[in-house]
Amino acid sequence: METSQPHSAESMSQDLSELLKEATKEVHEQAENTPFMKNFQKGQVSLHEFKLVTASLYFIYSALEEEIERNKDNPVYAPVYFPAELHRKAALEKDLEYFYGSNWRAEIPCPEATQKYVERLHCVGRKHPELLVAHAYTRYLGDLSGGQVLKKIAQKALQLPSTGEGLAFFTFDGVSNATKFKQLYRSRMNALEMDHATKKSVLEEAKKAFLLNIQVFEALQKLVSKSQENGHAVQPKAELRTRNVNKWHENGPAAGKESERTSRMQADMVTTSPLVRWILALGFIATTVAVGLFAIKQSAARGSRPFPCLLQALLTH
Amino acid sequence: MGDAGVESTVSPPESTTQDSFLSMTDVFLISLITGLFTYWFFFRKKKEEIPDLPKIQTVSSPARDSSFIEKMKKTGRNIVVFYGSQTGTAEEFANRLSKDAHRYGLRGMAADPEEYDLSDLSRLSEIDKSLAVFCMATYGEGDPTDNAQDFYDWLQEADADLSGLRFAVFGLGNKTYEHFNAMGKYVDKRLEELGAQRIFELGLGDDDGNLEEDFITWREQFWPAVCEHFGVEATGEESSIRQYELVVHTDVNMNKVYTGEMGRLKSYENQKPPFDAKNPFLAVVTENRKLNEGGERHLMHLELDISNSKIRYESGDHVAVYPANDTSLVNQFGEILGTDLDTVMSLNNLDEESNKKHPFPCPTSYRTALTYYLDITNPPRTNVLYELAQYATDTGEQEQLRKMASSTAEGKALYLSWVVEARRNILAILQDMPSLRPPIDHLCELLPRLQARYYSIASSSKVHPNSIHICAVTVEYETKTGRLNKGVATNWLKNKVPNENGRNSLVPMYVRKSQFRLPFKPSTPVIMIGPGTGIAPFIGFIQERAWLKEQGKEVGETVLYYGCRREQEDYLYRQELARFKQEGVLTQLNVAFSRDQAEKVYVQHLIKKNKEHIWKLVNDGNAHIYVCGDARNMARDVQNTFYEIVAEYGNMNQTQAVDYVKKLMTKGRYSLDVWS
Repeated sequence: METSQPHSAESMSQDLSELLKEATKEVHEQAENTPFMKNFQKGQVSLHEFKLVTASLYFIYSALEEEIERNKDNPVYAPVYFPAELHRKAALEKDLEYFYGSNWRAEIPCPEATQKYVERLHCVGRKHPELLVAHAYTRYLGDLSGGQVLKKIAQKALQLPSTGEGLAFFTFDGVSNATKFKQLYRSRMNALEMDHATKKSVLEEAKKAFLLNIQVFEALQKLVSKSQENGHAVQPKAELRTRNVNKWHENGPAAGKESERTSRMQADMVTTSPLVRWILALGFIATTVAVGLFAIKQSAARGSRPFPCLLQALLTH
Repeated sequence: MGDAGVESTVSPPESTTQDSFLSMTDVFLISLITGLFTYWFFFRKKKEEIPDLPKIQTVSSPARDSSFIEKMKKTGRNIVVFYGSQTGTAEEFANRLSKDAHRYGLRGMAADPEEYDLSDLSRLSEIDKSLAVFCMATYGEGDPTDNAQDFYDWLQEADADLSGLRFAVFGLGNKTYEHFNAMGKYVDKRLEELGAQRIFELGLGDDDGNLEEDFITWREQFWPAVCEHFGVEATGEESSIRQYELVVHTDVNMNKVYTGEMGRLKSYENQKPPFDAKNPFLAVVTENRKLNEGGERHLMHLELDISNSKIRYESGDHVAVYPANDTSLVNQFGEILGTDLDTVMSLNNLDEESNKKHPFPCPTSYRTALTYYLDITNPPRTNVLYELAQYATDTGEQEQLRKMASSTAEGKALYLSWVVEARRNILAILQDMPSLRPPIDHLCELLPRLQARYYSIASSSKVHPNSIHICAVTVEYETKTGRLNKGVATNWLKNKVPNENGRNSLVPMYVRKSQFRLPFKPSTPVIMIGPGTGIAPFIGFIQERAWLKEQGKEVGETVLYYGCRREQEDYLYRQELARFKQEGVLTQLNVAFSRDQAEKVYVQHLIKKNKEHIWKLVNDGNAHIYVCGDARNMARDVQNTFYEIVAEYGNMNQTQAVDYVKKLMTKGRYSLDVWS
């Protein structure tokens, strides 16, 4: 979080970076305080939820980056074009493959709120490209700031491997220093040629972007509670401080690994009682029957009939 | 079972008796099976209940057993490590610390402050050799983690007397947040206020940097301090302290042995992009010339050929090189320790669950390890001295080593003077302490890894797309002990002469992207301040501005402030800069020669001569300011000069001026590429 500057003559500044920060302060706080985000920050996030978030982010970033590519040479966006440093689509694809397996494209859901966000991004990119920076600012700068903290939280809460699988989204390999990069990004935003009216529209669009994000969180929250109601196998929300040693993430391909892990975890939890139960039950039956028949055999003292013949006699009747 | 009774029923094999026989058996079996099922249900119920009970017990036991003192007494512990953890990191550190205790004849346990009554801290002295350690993470805006909230409240409100309590704190924080490590700092301060005795300094881990490293560094000095305090030593045989096990290979396939690669075996023979820290590119050195005309130092300009590597860079980026240690230095190790350096060995981690199987790529030879993988030129840290002490057969030398590793004021002073100020590296220590002869493999375990060195690239990729230029000064100085210490990378680079026998002129390198960039619009004015080798990135910047001008772009004012010792001695790139000035690319060239007159003249003095012009460029011209070079003094002096200019010409007081400059930094208009 940046230090807030005391107001002086400088607050009359027309720098886009400063105007954006000021304009989105309130709506940023709103986003942080959605139940979904609040729970996430406490580490109360289930794998199911996290997978859904990753899927929605994939749609969002695919759309955003498609529109960025379209406008990369357009002077209304070019100064903030940083594909190597920022773009997330490839990372999200890696994460989705890890979580859903190789058939992830067919399996990932796209809730309506996400679709709405995607449509807005395409609309802006095609018809109002001067507003695209508002969306890039909202997502990317957020990812570079709080995003890093969320990465740690997600890693511990979901017990994801320390080698980074499932968290490629949070890993910015092209940025050696997030603080310095944000400073550079701001200088680039301020290099955009923009009249006063456009600046105002950009501020409004940024607020819109935040609200679209909030709506996606809320939609995901609903999706998750609905599936809980329907009695779907709910992965219990991992408390942050359980520390199971995960030995199996280092081997094997990524695809389908996650579901394997889930079923193994659940198997572990139920322990071996059904098996033991059956063995003991059969053992009991067998022993009792044997004892019973033995007793019967014993009493058939008049000519000891062999056990099998007696059984046969019993069975034929 | 009455034989008679059964007998009578079974004997006649006629139908009637058979019927009754059957029904009897039937009844018998049915009742047995029914009984069995009843048993089964009974049994099953019990099975289900049993797993429940332990759960219930753990929930209720903290309430009953909320005294950690009692628990410690019962389990024979003397060290308790409390953790304030949100994401589990602090908890993990606490667990590791409590496990460490064992090595020193102490017994530790990690504890969640939420589960205990922390007012019991005043009773901890009841236990012999007791110590309370706190691993406290700071959350959000300087807040305690959820599980430490109660502890925090108690510390604030309680008026406990904690005299007799010994403690140490390690804080987990993140420098990008304003309230860096607020919780750790608070706990450390407050405990002292309440009368407790601090036995080791507060550790401040920075997650924005390298939290793990910070923790390890703190821990390595923490334990010697604890041992010193309690008068204990690391117990047992040497093997109990070792982290790795030596395996000597007598019959090994040389194709499987590492010869200096950073990652994949044979990656220097079969080069495959993409090139990065784990897979460096072997660049050919195409030029290596001395830049200064006089003086004792050696300043150089090197050019690395990156053709066909697919490596791209931008002016302002850094080039990382992996140097090698001086061969004569490495050979001296072999002589002084009496080892055949070409022995092939592996050091395998004794902790099988660790991700780090070896301290450096193995199997390899001692020679390779000492040349490419280990830092043998920096003064060793105290934990190294502590571990080596056991190998000194002379009691005086052993005492001295232990003392320097301790946390006593005398010990710290001795370490500072004998090791740090005298710049004694490990070889010097071995030479000056003839009874100290550790086994070479233990030494290899203790020495830190040889790090890559970064240099600001001194070329523009627009002008030199296939070549990366470096501007550096070789580090060489005489120590108080009369030895000549040489910088590893700079001396290694100095000897990379082009066209010499093949391999010698190769440099393993990669590019690390920086955020030090020219403004997006060429028309934006730039003010560059880069004395000494700090001029490096600006040569790249100026080359690029020249290229933009050639492209017909409108290029804004390009101002350079450079400084060196003497005009005739070390004025770097003098001719190039003159040419740029002549061509009008460099609109202002200000050079300070610090030693050419009686009083010292530095870049900041020249900046002060142009206050009005600079203010105009910055305030009206949207100029970007760049500072490159020495972090300790120059960068700070320059920044202060800017505060002065802003205050004077912007009509502001000091606080407002500082704010103005800080804001320039936030907006990416005042960038730093500095080193210390």
